Amino acid sequence: MAEITYIDAINRTLHEEMARDETTFLIGEDTGIYGGVFKATRGLLEEFGPERIIDSPISESLIAGMTVGAAMVGCRPLPEIQFADFISPAFDQIVQQVARYYWRTNGAFEMPVTLRCPYGGGVGGGVYHSQSNEAWFMNTPGLVMVAPGSVRDAAGLLRSAIRSQDPVLYWEHKKLYRSLKDDVPDGDEVLTPIGSAEVVRNGSHVTAISFGYTLQLCLEAANELADEGIEVEVIDLKTLLPLDKSTVIESVAKTSKAVVVHEAPKFGGIGGEIAAILAEECFWELDAPVTRVAGYNTPFPAARTMEEHYMPSTVQVAAALRTAVQT
Amino acid sequence: MAEKQETELSFPAKYRLTGEMEGCSDEQKLELFERLLKTRQFDARMRKLFRQGRFEGTFYSQIGQEACDVVIAYQMNQEDFVGPSHRDLGASTGKGVPLKNLAAQVYNRVDSPDGGRYTACHYWHPEYWVMNPSTSIVMNWVAATGAAFGYKMLKKDNVAVAFCGDGATAHGDFHEACNFAGVHRLPIVYVVQNNLWAESLPVALTTALTDLSHRADAYGFPGISIDGNDVVETWNTTREALKRARGGAGPTLIEMKTYRWHGHSDIDPADYRSDDEVAHWMERDPIPRYEQYLRELEVLNDDTLAKIRTRIEAEIEEAVDFAENSPRPAPDGYLSHVYAEDYPGFEFGDRNPGEPNG
Repeated sequence: MAEITYIDAINRTLHEEMARDETTFLIGEDTGIYGGVFKATRGLLEEFGPERIIDSPISESLIAGMTVGAAMVGCRPLPEIQFADFISPAFDQIVQQVARYYWRTNGAFEMPVTLRCPYGGGVGGGVYHSQSNEAWFMNTPGLVMVAPGSVRDAAGLLRSAIRSQDPVLYWEHKKLYRSLKDDVPDGDEVLTPIGSAEVVRNGSHVTAISFGYTLQLCLEAANELADEGIEVEVIDLKTLLPLDKSTVIESVAKTSKAVVVHEAPKFGGIGGEIAAILAEECFWELDAPVTRVAGYNTPFPAARTMEEHYMPSTVQVAAALRTAVQT
Repeated sequence: MAEKQETELSFPAKYRLTGEMEGCSDEQKLELFERLLKTRQFDARMRKLFRQGRFEGTFYSQIGQEACDVVIAYQMNQEDFVGPSHRDLGASTGKGVPLKNLAAQVYNRVDSPDGGRYTACHYWHPEYWVMNPSTSIVMNWVAATGAAFGYKMLKKDNVAVAFCGDGATAHGDFHEACNFAGVHRLPIVYVVQNNLWAESLPVALTTALTDLSHRADAYGFPGISIDGNDVVETWNTTREALKRARGGAGPTLIEMKTYRWHGHSDIDPADYRSDDEVAHWMERDPIPRYEQYLRELEVLNDDTLAKIRTRIEAEIEEAVDFAENSPRPAPDGYLSHVYAEDYPGFEFGDRNPGEPNG
C-alpha cells in the first residue's frame, strides 16, 4: 500500500464511486477541464465525460438547487462549492429545499446528494478563502454534515456520504489536503459510518473533542501532555450533524473534564452546543468547566501574522487541557 | 370586488377565439375544457370553504389563471416533471391528479400527499410527478431545471415544465436556472404567468421590460409572449415548446399574460388594484371564451355541458367529503422522515420538559 494524501483520498474515492454508480454526476466551478482549483476532481472529466462532469457557470444556488430535481428523477448528485466561503448564495437551496425535501414530501423523495465544501484557514487565503462556516448550518434538521480529520476518513466518509440516501455536506479541510498522508486501502474496505464519533486516543484525565484540522492540534497536544503525565482522551467527531452525543457523554463521564476545539468563531460555534449537551446531560460527572478553544469572534484575517494569531494552536489547546486537569 | 358567474357567455367580440388547435382531437378539446372548468369550480368551492372557516391556514386562489397551467399540464405524460409554484392548482388538475388528494392537501389532513405536515395550497402529487413546491419563490424553477438535467443525463425521453409568476423573474435563481438550461439545451419549458401583480407589487416595479419573454434573449433560447387566457394560442404555443424540449432542441420561455381575480391569498383584499382593471380582465376570462369556441366548432352543446357540470360537481362533493372525513394528523406525526438513514448516536426526539403539547 502506497502512502496517499488527504486530497488523493478524495480524488480516488470520487473516481471509485462514480465508476461504481453511473447515476452519479459531479457539478461545480472549474471542476471539469481544470480538475478543480485544488485538483480534487482531477481526471474525472477524462474518465466520465462532460455528461457527468459538469463545469458549472458561477451559479452556486443552481449548483445546490438543481440537485433536488436531479435526485428526484434518479440521479445521485455530487455538487462541489469551490470554497466553502462561496456557499452563501446556495444557502437558501441547501437549508430550505435540499435538507427538508424528504421531510416535506413525507418520505416520497430521498435526497442522496453529497455537497463537498473545501473549508478552513492556515492557507493564507484571506476572509473569503479561509472560513470554517459549518456552524451556519447546524440548526438545519434533515441535513447531514461530516468533516474528515484523517486520510482514511477523507475516503471513508466521502464513500459513506455518496452512498447515503440523505443530503450530506462534506467539509474537507484545505490545510489537510497535502499535509496529511497515510496508507489507505482502495475501495470498499474504507467505509466510515456516518453519525458516529470515535475515540481516537484513549486517556483518563481530560477529553479533547474536535474534528478536521483542529483534531491534529488535539493529537499533538495529547502527545505533549503525555510527557507531563497527563492522559488526554481525544474524540474525533467526524459527523457534526446529526451529532453522536453518546460517545462524547460517555467519554466525559469517564474523564470528568472536557475541552472542545474548533476553528470557527467561538460564539455560536459547535463548541457551544457540545458544552450545552454536557451541561444538560453530564453535569454531575463534571469536575471542571467545559472550555472552548476556537477562532476569535471576528472575520478571518489575511496577513500571515494575523492568520497565525487567529488560528487555534497546539500551544493553546495544550494550555486549555492543562488548565482543565489542574482545576 | 364583484363576484362573477363562472361561465358567463358574454364577452367582447375581440376576445373571441379563432384558429385551429394543432393536433388536438375533439375528444381532447372536451376533456381539456372539463379540466379547466373543474379547476375553476374546485378553486371556487375551496375558497368558499376557507371563508366558512372549514380549514386553517390560508387559501391561494388561482381563479382567472387556469389556462396557463392546465393547458400545458394536460399535454404532458404522467412521468414528465412539473415544478409548480404555490397557487398552481391547474398544474395538478391539468395532469389529472384526483381532486380528493388536492382537497386533503388544502385541509392539511392525513390523506394529503404530505400527510398534513407541509403547507396548504401547495398542490403536488408524487405519482403524477408534480413536485412539492417551495413557498420561497422560484426554487421550483431551479429544481425543475435539475430534473431536466437528470432526464438528459440518464437519457430518458421526458421533459420538465416549470411555472412562476412575473415577480419571480426578478430573483437570481430565475437567472441561474435559465442560464444553465440554455448552456446545456435542457428539455424544459419555462412558463411565466404574468398576472401583473407580485402580491402587491405592480409588474412595472418588477421589471422595465414590457414583454417578459425578452428575458430569454439573454439565455440563447426562444421566448414568446402570448395571451394566457386564450386557450387556442396557449395550446399551440405550449405544444410547440414541449415538442422542442422532447426533440432535443432545448428550452423555451413562454410569458402568459393573465390575471388573478382575487387577492394574493384570501386574507388579501387586493385593494391595490382598481375595479376597472379587475373588470377588464374578467371580460377576458379564459373559460367562457373557450366554451364559445367549442360551441362554434359544435364540439360542445348544452347537453354535453350539463353532463360535464354534473360530473365535476360529483367529484368536488366527493373530494370535500373525503377531505373533511380524513383524520387530522397525529400531533407528533411530523417527527418521521427527517432523515432517510438511521443515526443511532443521535437523540432525534430531544424533548422539552413536561408533557408534549397537542
